[in-house]
Amino acid sequence: MTPLEILAAAINGKPAPRIPIFCNLLDQGARELAMTSKDYFSNGALVAEAQLKMLKRYGHDNVWSLHYVGKEAELLGCREILFANDGAPNVADFVIKSLDDISRFEIPPDITQVPAWQSVASCLQILKSEIGNTHPICAYVTASTTLPVILMGMEKWMELFLLGPFELRDELLRKCADFFHQYISALRAAGANVLVYSSPFGSPYFLSPDKIKKMVLPWMKHDLEPGGVADVVYYCGMAPFNNVIDLVFDELHITKHYTSPLDDLTTAKRIINTRGLTCGVIDDIKMIHWTVEETRAEVKRIIDIGKPGGHFLFGNGVMPLAVPEANIRAMVDAAFEYGGLE
Amino acid sequence: MLESYIRSYNDAVFETDKEAAMAVVNKALADGVTPENIVFRLIIPAIEMMMAIIEKDPDANLAQHFMTAQIAADVTEKMLEKFSQPPEVIGRIVIGAAHGDLHSLGKRIVSGCLKALMVEVIDLGVNVSAERFVDAAVSENAQVIAISAMMVHTATGENGSQRVRALLQERGLEQKIKLAVGGAPYRFDPELYRKVGADAWAADGVTAGKMIVNLIREVKNDTA
Repeated sequence: MTPLEILAAAINGKPAPRIPIFCNLLDQGARELAMTSKDYFSNGALVAEAQLKMLKRYGHDNVWSLHYVGKEAELLGCREILFANDGAPNVADFVIKSLDDISRFEIPPDITQVPAWQSVASCLQILKSEIGNTHPICAYVTASTTLPVILMGMEKWMELFLLGPFELRDELLRKCADFFHQYISALRAAGANVLVYSSPFGSPYFLSPDKIKKMVLPWMKHDLEPGGVADVVYYCGMAPFNNVIDLVFDELHITKHYTSPLDDLTTAKRIINTRGLTCGVIDDIKMIHWTVEETRAEVKRIIDIGKPGGHFLFGNGVMPLAVPEANIRAMVDAAFEYGGLE
Repeated sequence: MLESYIRSYNDAVFETDKEAAMAVVNKALADGVTPENIVFRLIIPAIEMMMAIIEKDPDANLAQHFMTAQIAADVTEKMLEKFSQPPEVIGRIVIGAAHGDLHSLGKRIVSGCLKALMVEVIDLGVNVSAERFVDAAVSENAQVIAISAMMVHTATGENGSQRVRALLQERGLEQKIKLAVGGAPYRFDPELYRKVGADAWAADGVTAGKMIVNLIREVKNDTA
């Protein structure tokens, strides 16, 4: 079976030789090609090349078209990204610097014509032609209620979101939702087949479940309605969300859940059960200082919880660059070893 | 009487309802509670109660932390203008986001709580070098350097807290200045603060206030 077929089998509860194994390696690509982060991310073909090389090196199931989270801000006018050779790039120029900027802020009529899109498009074009029929190609889309964080900063967005002025907040959300519709559609058309819907404001770590239901859920529905959710994975940026899994099933109909290491996996698996896919996620920040043995033991613990009954995927969060290569290798090898189903 | 205000105030804060919280404060003022008592017998006990609630309640969320700090800082600032004489401050800290880190929410929450707890806060902004943290702490006579890091590499990088620790050591300042850290990576690995050379950490911005006040007291006791 191909990795794509193994993923489908896990989602649908069908027989497969093993569980799907996701290994999310983003910033490691620059190291793989011995380049600076800035040079590496400037060219989508390089990102695709590194993703394919790392896929070959570790043998996991998925690749990523995501360059860095700030890419969406660049598509919307951000002019400066702070690159770092020891970690993830950071948005350094907020598109919305004051509340007055919200009315002037415009979504491009066609984001595929924006220069910042071209590297994403070329990356996806290569990945699709090389492994599009066999492997999950992941893309990252930020929910409309979270996108303002990279446009104006978390501090200002939290203030606007909770304290208003609410007309301005809703105007910004409408624009962010318009962008979301364009972006997810463009990613699908370019070849992404796993859409990771990043919605930290849909996590009870950020807001109470009641506020999520009243203030965030309507926007999430609006985000996802046009294209459906068949290829969508619910993810809260590593924040826990066990308390809203039922809500996500009932209201958004998303069946794949990329859980947080801060959530209790046993509980998540019990709630999701055979209704969908539980993605058990290792705490890869701890992997920075773990030994190979500690890494393997944690992989085993996670798979022992998730594998019985099927409908389970093993994965990591966003692998920090400081994680030793030996631990990445140990994680993937242990996932293959303990994740067998035959 | 103030207990009922504290309860009503915290209920409003927990519901992230700033208007209702301000209404409680205004009612207390109208009922004759002095500005000094609003701060010392309502706001500070309310924050302390909120710290206890948040420590015990895993479901407390970031919006509640944000509103706790925001409302407390706003009320305190307004009341301080009405004080008959300036209040005694507990101590002084310098705070900022680590080198390479541009996230500011965490330090705003911590700063808001500390200001209400009568701690002077010198905010150095974001992307602050280790040298600047230490130089500012020395020139401002601060007891604590508080570093927020929301990304793994800014928490663990050699130019962040680790460098601050090295500078404190080189300059013989470790008894006079304590190092506190916070931010997402520390929540995923609660032992990470030790590995980056910090003296303490907190899982959220509100309880960070308590942790920093304890560090200030520790320094003052050690250097008394």
